[in-house]
Amino acid sequence: MSHSTEPILHIPQSVREDVLAYREKVAAYRRGESNPTAFKAYRVPMGIYEQRTDGRFMVRVRLGAGLALPQQLTRIAALSQAHGNGVLHVTTRQDIQIHDVPIESTPDVLEGLLDGGISSRGGGGNTVRNVSACPRAGRCPQERFDVAPHAISVAEYLLQHRSSFNLPRKYKIAFSGCGTDCALASVADLGFFAKTRDGEQGFLVYAAGGLGGSPRGGIVIEEFIPVAEAVEVAEAIRRVFDKNGDRTNKNRARLRFVLNRLGDNAFKKLYQEELVAVRAEGLAGDPPSVRDLEARFAPQTVLSEAHIEDVQPDLQHLIWPEKAAESVTLRLPLPLGDISAEDLELVAHLAKKHGLGLVGTTQEQELLVYGVRRAELAAALAVLRETIVFSSFRNARPRVVACAGASTCKLGLCLSRGLASAISAAFDAQDVAGGEGAPVIRISGCPNSCGGHHIGAIGLEGRAQRHNGRLLPAYVVLAGGVVSEDGAQLAQPLGVVPARRLPELLAAAVKQGMTGAEDLRRLVAEHAVIPPNPPEDYFYDFGAEVPFSLAGRGPGECGAGVFDVIQLDIREAASALRSSKTVLDDRVRSEELYMSLLAAARSLLVIFGVEVTKEHLIFAAFDRELITPGWVSAASRNVVADALDWRLGGETKSLVQHAESIGELVARITDLFGSLDANLKFRLTPLAEETAAAPSVGAEKAAARADLSGVLCPMNFVKAKVALEKISIGSVLEVILDDGEPIQNVPGSLAEQGHEIISVTPFEGRHLVRIRRLK
Amino acid sequence: MELTDTQIERYSRHIILEEVGLAGQERLLSARVLIVGAGGLGSPAALYLAAAGIGTIGIVDADTVDITNLQRQIAHRTADLGREKVISAAEKMSAINPDITVNTHRLFLQADNIAEVIDGYDFVIDGTDNFAAKFLINDACHFSRKAYVHAGILRFDGQMMTVLPGETACLRCIFGGPPPPGAVPSCSQAGVLGVLGGVLGTLQATEAVKHALGQGTLLTNALLKYNALDLSFRKVPVRRNPICPLCGDAPTITDLHDEALPVCDLKEARP
Repeated sequence: MSHSTEPILHIPQSVREDVLAYREKVAAYRRGESNPTAFKAYRVPMGIYEQRTDGRFMVRVRLGAGLALPQQLTRIAALSQAHGNGVLHVTTRQDIQIHDVPIESTPDVLEGLLDGGISSRGGGGNTVRNVSACPRAGRCPQERFDVAPHAISVAEYLLQHRSSFNLPRKYKIAFSGCGTDCALASVADLGFFAKTRDGEQGFLVYAAGGLGGSPRGGIVIEEFIPVAEAVEVAEAIRRVFDKNGDRTNKNRARLRFVLNRLGDNAFKKLYQEELVAVRAEGLAGDPPSVRDLEARFAPQTVLSEAHIEDVQPDLQHLIWPEKAAESVTLRLPLPLGDISAEDLELVAHLAKKHGLGLVGTTQEQELLVYGVRRAELAAALAVLRETIVFSSFRNARPRVVACAGASTCKLGLCLSRGLASAISAAFDAQDVAGGEGAPVIRISGCPNSCGGHHIGAIGLEGRAQRHNGRLLPAYVVLAGGVVSEDGAQLAQPLGVVPARRLPELLAAAVKQGMTGAEDLRRLVAEHAVIPPNPPEDYFYDFGAEVPFSLAGRGPGECGAGVFDVIQLDIREAASALRSSKTVLDDRVRSEELYMSLLAAARSLLVIFGVEVTKEHLIFAAFDRELITPGWVSAASRNVVADALDWRLGGETKSLVQHAESIGELVARITDLFGSLDANLKFRLTPLAEETAAAPSVGAEKAAARADLSGVLCPMNFVKAKVALEKISIGSVLEVILDDGEPIQNVPGSLAEQGHEIISVTPFEGRHLVRIRRLK
Repeated sequence: MELTDTQIERYSRHIILEEVGLAGQERLLSARVLIVGAGGLGSPAALYLAAAGIGTIGIVDADTVDITNLQRQIAHRTADLGREKVISAAEKMSAINPDITVNTHRLFLQADNIAEVIDGYDFVIDGTDNFAAKFLINDACHFSRKAYVHAGILRFDGQMMTVLPGETACLRCIFGGPPPPGAVPSCSQAGVLGVLGGVLGTLQATEAVKHALGQGTLLTNALLKYNALDLSFRKVPVRRNPICPLCGDAPTITDLHDEALPVCDLKEARP
């Protein structure tokens, strides 16, 4: 039977261009022409992460609505065999990851994917991540209508705009086809629930949910919008996020922190204003298109003489009914989401031969083969039996979902995958039954909830525990997480249990049906106790050969972006400027001033797509991109000319006379950087056009305020600190600071001491800085 | 406690520090530190603690300013010759910082008066010049459970240790008691490099400030040795001694007593 080869999600032209430009970026990096931080800023938003093992990379392939064509899976499998470790990983957000790729092969992988009509662009970084949907969309008898085409349409719309790759943090969107919320829309940054009203298809919309640090369910922002308006809503929320998300603090950057800061009403008002603006302007770029997938992948009428075979009862858990009586979905509950390349090829073959030529991924890290004709079920199962992975799921067991964990993730504390395997082994050993109604166990190796422990019927969150002065791996046990169209309910912590004792605890709990919070609380209390002289294996994480430690943990790569690179240069400029003030020697001062000017000139060039390393080229580009258009003062041109002359040993013998101008330039560059939006456009206006802008004060309730106009450095900082110590932790202080040194130094110094800079806005020729006291 | 604008400016470089801040400066202003000896060690400690805004500083010394003191005891001026050291030092401290209260104790600390004097303070700086006084301070701080910092200087060497009585090693844990008379010469016999008092006295003041702030790690269970000629600092780890006559498992010293003073030191130690 022949199937259509048209990709499910159409890769926008801009993504295509970015992928094709990637090879040269890698080459330049390998030639030593760009530094690792700058390269990381390109690499991560391309969906390529460095693994914990140095020099090995993971490529995260996004699958629109979690759907892939068989030939796309075959391609992914082949790329993994050619360039990676031959094992594919299905993620909880319906991507497929290729692991262990050397950096020099990443361009081949990306281009190979592109040939197959798929891409990893936006798989990581501060981007619009994979737009996920109900894994059974279009097939599930329970669904209200097929949401997958709408998820794809929203993804295609957002992906074509480069601004979607420079948000304050990641932006996760999900579509659920009914109230059961298989797509986890109630805890997404933006979540859609299918609804019908008077025969019209539409969505109930949630926003600003999210797991990880300070998790929360979303709030309802629309009771009902017609399906055609989903893209407008997604664009409006993108703008709210772009303008209000906190780019200065990665840990508080997600949309839910905007909601927490503003409150429900102010948040909804901002959203409504943006929605009005989006509608007034009309959507930019290619108009979104919604393509009917149900019609394209409709099961063919079965000949009447075909007889429906009975399936062995012990394989019933691998078969899900579909809307059409004549076909079923074949479910592959992959252990830990892993499948070998050979197996994936077999699955692709199975989907082509016995199904509709369409395969899906699920939030529980399974693969689904859609539209397998009942008449061919025995044959299909026979193909499945050929896979290596089949033996691991031939018996129905409760599903165990785990994040990547400390084995590959730089953030991970515990080896969550090792624990998941140990739990599954305990289920096998004690023959714990799974299937319908069995709890899903969700494991995250750290508080970041990549395994979704906050929404598991049973959730486990990795942490380190200290016992007799040694560290041992342990998990917080949580219970009672629920997602639904009535809103999400996060799981509540019950206690901390050493990792070693969890498999027996969970096997006992599930086997005896003691998975309610109260029963579990008792079991947790029993298992939380560490014996006085615990066996040595308490100090070893599952699958580890050395005692548990936190070595090798480092900052995550998720937030790497252009902004980090710019900040690096601006810091360098400011620090050289500071050093120039502390030395008396004219030559050394000139040297520092030159370095400051160079770093300042270079900092913003990255947003104009300029990447040069030779100093005269940096200054030339700076003149072209920043001086000529009036972003910085025209007087900078003389400073640059003198600086180059000084550098080349010309007539200029010192740069000290330009110290003040260089200081002003660094301040201006800092302001321009602070005003960048996700499109990498300045919100400030060029100097020539600058007019007295009206102060824009946020809608939050009156905060404590300190007017430090006319107060010089560092007394303004001292006074801001004193004022901050007088308000309670968590409260907000507004400080008015002068232009120049004050605005340049004070917010940074306060942030350095652990406080949150919420916003910096122009205020009557000065600056209004809003600061939250955090300690 | 509400700091005035002038105070905020005066202490601004402290307030800027994340580990100090407004709350830390307020703690300094309510701290009470006793400095025993207004000499080589006590002078810099007194001036720095006054400047730092330690709210109440007591200074003990029975001596008057002698011309041989001026080579190192920087709280005193040539014009102060013959004046009481505690008055001379208190004037300089108040001139630096009128915010603070300086209590002067013009007396020689002995077993019968020391408990009463140290009672009003939270931290004691030993700036004395003889072993008898050093062990008396050690014992008195032990019985009244006061944190204190020991220091001594001679020729080109200095040593220092902070003691949290009952928790960390004390002077007697290491040395038992004073050396036999004549075994160690005094400053007047052996000489001392003037700036040594500045180095060690300032480190003692640092310990007092850290103690008041509750920040950092005090120099406990370690004896710091300093040599000015090599410019070497060495921290010798020490620990509580179970047979310490004062704080060991079976103490033999159960109340305060004065150690014998070598005869040649009498002029130095007593007026």
